[in-house]
Amino acid sequence: MGNRRVVITGIGPISSIGIGKDNLWQGILQEKPNIKLEKCVLDGELWDQFYVHKIDNFDISKFGIDKDKLEDIKAWKEGEEIVDLNYLIASIKLALDDSKLDYNKENNELGLVLGHENLGLMPFGFKVSDLAYEMLIGKQKSQFSKKDFFDKFYRKFLKSGYDVQTFADLFHVARVFNVHNYSLFINNACASGLYALETASQMIESNQVKAVSVAASDHPDIYKYLWFKELGIYSSDGMIKPFCKDSNGLVFGDGGVAIVLEDLEFAQKRKAQIYAEYLGGGFDLEGWKITVPQIGSHSYQDAIQKAFKQAEINKDEVDFLCPHGVGSQPIDYYESKAITDIFGVYPMRYENLSHGEQPHEIENLSHGASPKRPLISTFKPYVGHNLGASALLETAILLLSLKNNLVPATLNYKNPDSKFNISLVKEKTKVKLKTAMKICCAFAGFNAAAIFKKI
Amino acid sequence: MSKEAFDNLEKDLVQLIADITGRDPAELKPEVNFWKDLGIDSIKAIEITVAIERKYKISIRDEQIPKITTIGEAVKVVKQSLEKKDKS
Repeated sequence: MGNRRVVITGIGPISSIGIGKDNLWQGILQEKPNIKLEKCVLDGELWDQFYVHKIDNFDISKFGIDKDKLEDIKAWKEGEEIVDLNYLIASIKLALDDSKLDYNKENNELGLVLGHENLGLMPFGFKVSDLAYEMLIGKQKSQFSKKDFFDKFYRKFLKSGYDVQTFADLFHVARVFNVHNYSLFINNACASGLYALETASQMIESNQVKAVSVAASDHPDIYKYLWFKELGIYSSDGMIKPFCKDSNGLVFGDGGVAIVLEDLEFAQKRKAQIYAEYLGGGFDLEGWKITVPQIGSHSYQDAIQKAFKQAEINKDEVDFLCPHGVGSQPIDYYESKAITDIFGVYPMRYENLSHGEQPHEIENLSHGASPKRPLISTFKPYVGHNLGASALLETAILLLSLKNNLVPATLNYKNPDSKFNISLVKEKTKVKLKTAMKICCAFAGFNAAAIFKKI
Repeated sequence: MSKEAFDNLEKDLVQLIADITGRDPAELKPEVNFWKDLGIDSIKAIEITVAIERKYKISIRDEQIPKITTIGEAVKVVKQSLEKKDKS
């Protein structure tokens, strides 16, 4: 850690179970995910369909954001509403409001880090496919249906489509919040949020800025679905079942989130609420394959150990651990191996840890076992896999868990697989929490860990 | 890779897969299917891929991994990769 201490003072989630921190937390307590079957229909023909954790009612005009600036963005985007860009802006507004930071003045103290896997790529892909179809095939529809065309065209198009640049979106978002300080856009796949938090912390520690809004969002559409389906990691029944015998893949989650990080002294001076201190993060790039983790490598373990070193704490101090938990057998196995290598194998008695009244209450975290192991729970079954924003959205829930001294249950954890050697919390559990850890093993081997502590 | 080593590739590869899966090498005929006949899951498939890449110093693309369904296909993929490597 550097000389400056970095704390979290604002949280602004946009999720399928609630917009804003209070609604999100209520959604977590109610344990009722909002999963819908998304159908993509072309000229009346069903192309494909997939389950998604869906945001039902989102209206960017309801967030009290400068209307002229929103109009400017819309004009730049040729009249198109870029949903994931709007999620970013709305989540930052919520987080800044929550932090009560004054960002309205032109020379504010705010920096900006955005994490995303290419805003607007999905509608861009659809537009290109649509235009190409009309130009090339439209007059010969009897020979080639639109569905067949889209199916073939997207496969040729997808990889080059990812080369879309994102600086213009950083410009738009920064402009909305009068950010003129250090700002950047990062993309480390699912781990983007944790990389963004570390980057923001470094910006504060180096005194570039006093506060940073870290935001990420994703609005996954059929293009991403088709890719994940091809990879064989998309759940066919719409249920994410982490670390279970019957897990069959992930389900997308719609949404975004922003978290405000601040210099501790700066936050204390303005009497800001403080959720927790960001103690530090650890990062390791495995560099084996893009879509497959290298089972047997030590990269994920290294990322976690680096986080302990940065945070200057030892593993026994972690009360609550939130893994990536995507519900894909090889990824869950890779992740559970890292967890057990660090924290030890979880005895089977831990499976019965939280049986009892709702919410279950426990006195302390040792559970009569030695050494102490953190409680583990994952949040994707609540909000889906929010891809580039997933780690940050789950960090927001983790911070709310810390604040409320409550570990949410892992939904759908009905058939734990003993080969993973870990036990997750089955029912929401009231317990005094001090330190929490978020870990993530992303595509391309971006392995990351971050540690938070209440002060 | 020497011609002898190349000729012995199938035998060596079968031995490597036998070591990982705990099967008798004699069982591992070219037509044996990893998933249906050996009950290999996606986790074990990745372990085998890692071992093959390390032994032969080749790289198998992500999308190839689930498509290698038989011992014969594994031998073919490794041979092709080694031939490509020799040419480059």
